[in-house]
Amino acid sequence: MPNTLSRRDFLKVGGAALGALTVSRFVPPRVVAAARTAGLLDQNGDGYIPTMCEMCVWRCGVLAKVEEGRVVKLEGNPDHPNSKGKLCARGQSGLMNTYDPDRVLTPLIRVGQRGEGKFRKASWDEALDVVAANMLKIKEQYGAQAMIFSSTHNLSQVQFENLLYAFGSPNYGTQRSLCFNAMVTAFSLTYGIEEPSRDYTSVKYILLTGRNLLEAISTSETSDLMDAVARGAKLVVLDPRFTKTASKATEWLPIRPGTDLAFILAMINVIVTEKLGDCEFTARYAVGCDKLPAHIAFYTPEWAAKKTGIEADTIRRIAREFAAAMPDALAHPGWRTSNFINSFQTERAIATLNAIVGNVLTPGGCLNAENPEASGITLGKPSQPPYPRLSSLRLDGVPWKYPLVPLKLGVFQELRDAVLTGQPYQAHGWFIARQNPVLSLPDRQKTLEAFGKMDFIVTVDIIMNDSAWFSDVVLPEASYLERYDPLLPVSGKVFIRQPVIEPQGEAQSALWIYKQLGERLGLGDFFQYQDEEDYIRQQLAPLGNYSLEELRLHGYVEPPAKEKSQEITFNTPSGKVEVYSETLANAGYPALPTWEEPPSPNADQFYLLTGKVGQHTQMGTQNNQLLHKYEDYPRLWMNPEAADKLGLKDWELVEVTSEVGSVKVPVQVTPAIRADCVYLTPGYGHLSKGLRTAYGDGVSDSVLHVTYVDPVSGGQALSQTFVTVKKA
Amino acid sequence: MADKKRYGFVIDISRCIDCRACQVACSLENSVPLNHTRIWIHDQGVQGTFPKLSRTFVPYNCMHCEHPPCIEVCVSGATYKDPNNGLVLVDQEACIGCGFCVEACPYDARYLDEKLGVVDKCNGCIQRVEIGQKPACVATCLGGSRLFGDLNDPASDVSIALKNAKSLFRLDIEGKDIDTDPNIYFINAPQSLTSLVTSDAFKQQGQAVPREPKYTISEEGWKKVLVPAIAAGIGASFLVQATYFTKQLIEGEKEFDE
Repeated sequence: MPNTLSRRDFLKVGGAALGALTVSRFVPPRVVAAARTAGLLDQNGDGYIPTMCEMCVWRCGVLAKVEEGRVVKLEGNPDHPNSKGKLCARGQSGLMNTYDPDRVLTPLIRVGQRGEGKFRKASWDEALDVVAANMLKIKEQYGAQAMIFSSTHNLSQVQFENLLYAFGSPNYGTQRSLCFNAMVTAFSLTYGIEEPSRDYTSVKYILLTGRNLLEAISTSETSDLMDAVARGAKLVVLDPRFTKTASKATEWLPIRPGTDLAFILAMINVIVTEKLGDCEFTARYAVGCDKLPAHIAFYTPEWAAKKTGIEADTIRRIAREFAAAMPDALAHPGWRTSNFINSFQTERAIATLNAIVGNVLTPGGCLNAENPEASGITLGKPSQPPYPRLSSLRLDGVPWKYPLVPLKLGVFQELRDAVLTGQPYQAHGWFIARQNPVLSLPDRQKTLEAFGKMDFIVTVDIIMNDSAWFSDVVLPEASYLERYDPLLPVSGKVFIRQPVIEPQGEAQSALWIYKQLGERLGLGDFFQYQDEEDYIRQQLAPLGNYSLEELRLHGYVEPPAKEKSQEITFNTPSGKVEVYSETLANAGYPALPTWEEPPSPNADQFYLLTGKVGQHTQMGTQNNQLLHKYEDYPRLWMNPEAADKLGLKDWELVEVTSEVGSVKVPVQVTPAIRADCVYLTPGYGHLSKGLRTAYGDGVSDSVLHVTYVDPVSGGQALSQTFVTVKKA
Repeated sequence: MADKKRYGFVIDISRCIDCRACQVACSLENSVPLNHTRIWIHDQGVQGTFPKLSRTFVPYNCMHCEHPPCIEVCVSGATYKDPNNGLVLVDQEACIGCGFCVEACPYDARYLDEKLGVVDKCNGCIQRVEIGQKPACVATCLGGSRLFGDLNDPASDVSIALKNAKSLFRLDIEGKDIDTDPNIYFINAPQSLTSLVTSDAFKQQGQAVPREPKYTISEEGWKKVLVPAIAAGIGASFLVQATYFTKQLIEGEKEFDE
């Protein structure tokens, strides 16, 4: 039988990456040599290297298949709790991010106008000198606080924060206020934990409000949910859209946007008034439940029916079913909860609902008041001097305008107003790492205007993202398959992200970049590690006798588990679940979960909904050719009833207008959305011509989004923008 | 005969979430060019009227038929059914890229790689299976929809899934001159798909591996599967292909598209 299995070269897939690869193959194979020593690769340089994914923040364990110094395939690591042997479409496609023909492979310095896209190549020495000189100039002239630092959640962020706090700026922008501020703030206040983990082992009843788990994929949790559904668990999905998650639900309720809070409050009303809850649990572990009956009396299912558009009987039935399933019932806390200005209250209500059925922490309960990443393992870190004292106000209003927003969350979208007004002081520089505020923040025009106020902008990224396109210096980072990052403990194991191939071009790790920059800024004492491996060895030191080689070989080490206390305690002021929060009362906010009426659109307007698709992560993956291959063309969803009224046909080009902007996009006429809503997949409409796959593909909802801030959690209300639609 | 393998897929339709991890995994594992794919997820689209809606995803690839129409039309002998495991494979060294098989496949499960001038299709990731791994699409299937294994082995994943299936159908093409007898078994389809399917025969028979259930295919089914009267169709496509083939011979190596 002839051999039919001759493999074609992977490079056929990413043909344009060939040039870059050819160059890197002449570089001494440091990674290959180290991997051989560690026993990961054979004599030909072939084998599997365990590492961690970075295509989203779920961080699955990966086994990278390497052949002759090239990564050819990624597999889910069966030993990692977040992947359990699987990777989603984004995780599978990760190597195309690394082999993206549009990779930035040398430091770049702008030569044309900002946004013109004209850069010249520079050496690392020159580029770092330019960045340091500009930062020091700003610091001398205006003070360290005139530098804004912003970065999206990543494993090297600890050193990014180190850089900004050592530099002495309080101005730190993260993606968090565009994502999960409402959940984190609400659950911190109620359970004393930012994000409780979910356990699907015995779950019988799942309520998803705004958590599109089959499209906003978290590999292991998505798989767990499907297993539970296949097992016969009841899945109730509240969503104005018929998402893929809704298509697998036992019951889909197309709720009016912004009213999930009313639905949950009515469920609490039914459970409390009919005494269906777990009184034993609440008596022992919660405070304020005695105040609930009077507080909640008004929130009847009939009241909620008027708000939500869901029949009172349905709400009542679901409340009873949910309580009957306790403690095997789960009201999911959500994740990206930046929807409406009442999202914080929604999250408080969800926390309360889970608590009154004793679903938290009890054996068999589906919500654990423990973060899997905080598994009692304390990693080492390089020693460093104390940070300089911060004396300036933060430009994002935390805490002077937003007293309850944790400092590390911040209110990123507020920064621009301070930049544009110069109040309370003028910012002059912006350091961006692995983030694309031009597309992620609402009101893109405002972000670009704020850019215009900057004397100096530097961006660290692996490709020419839109913010890099408008920057003065671009520093090329090594991709996640080419570098080390600080270690990550998950469920009792400590995992490593390690290079599986040599960095392409002159790309460098974030750990290296921040250290180099720190030294040039006179902050060398804050970066006391020789290199990435030394950093990780220092992290490993307190765990016992583990070598880096051992860690590299298996992808993780598992230190002996500490004795777990049997005592159930919550990290709140009272040590209990705070259904009633004294902290909120003292800050002048409602101490119990309380209805807040969200704004609603005029008769000629639609809610502009945002959401997720399983093939992309935010605005960072549209240039990945493999994901591009399997994506759906992003159109504006509209219900046939609404389309008929406007005389619109499927695929017709429409103009969508909000109070801050306007875009033209083809319409997708589909019954999978309420007639008062339209939906646009985020992440498209890139401005950077340096992204040859993504440029010109779709439109960005950031052009339309109006900046609305939830006053308690600081979360951006992303679904609170209302638009008109007409034939273009 | 008993220990001879018969590899096939079982696809649990109730568990496909259309995440497309399988497609990306397949593309990389098998170096599929960016303008082609070896595996598909058929999306019926959103059915019904608001708010009574349903949507079903049907992943598929080469059916590795018992009687593959692609083999009959292969002029070079490159397409063959592996006698050891039943997989339908292409010997790309022998393939001349005529494309007859692409047209003959009623499932549209083959493509012509214009650059290499050969036909390509799902090979059941035999390169992985032989070293004890699952096919790339199966290994990474988030919903647990895709299963692969030896249908002759009662202990295999596929046999066990078939035994526990609530419903079952295959996309068998039966006609005057054709009976594909495919080796992809679709299980647990929701009610909304019943128009596409019949057959609980297998459950009643109580067999571990069904042999001859009855199937029909709906009017709304897959376009290619529905191409009526495949036998007649093949005749016509021969003509079309022959024209292209001759044209290509005359014009030299140019992009070959159907």
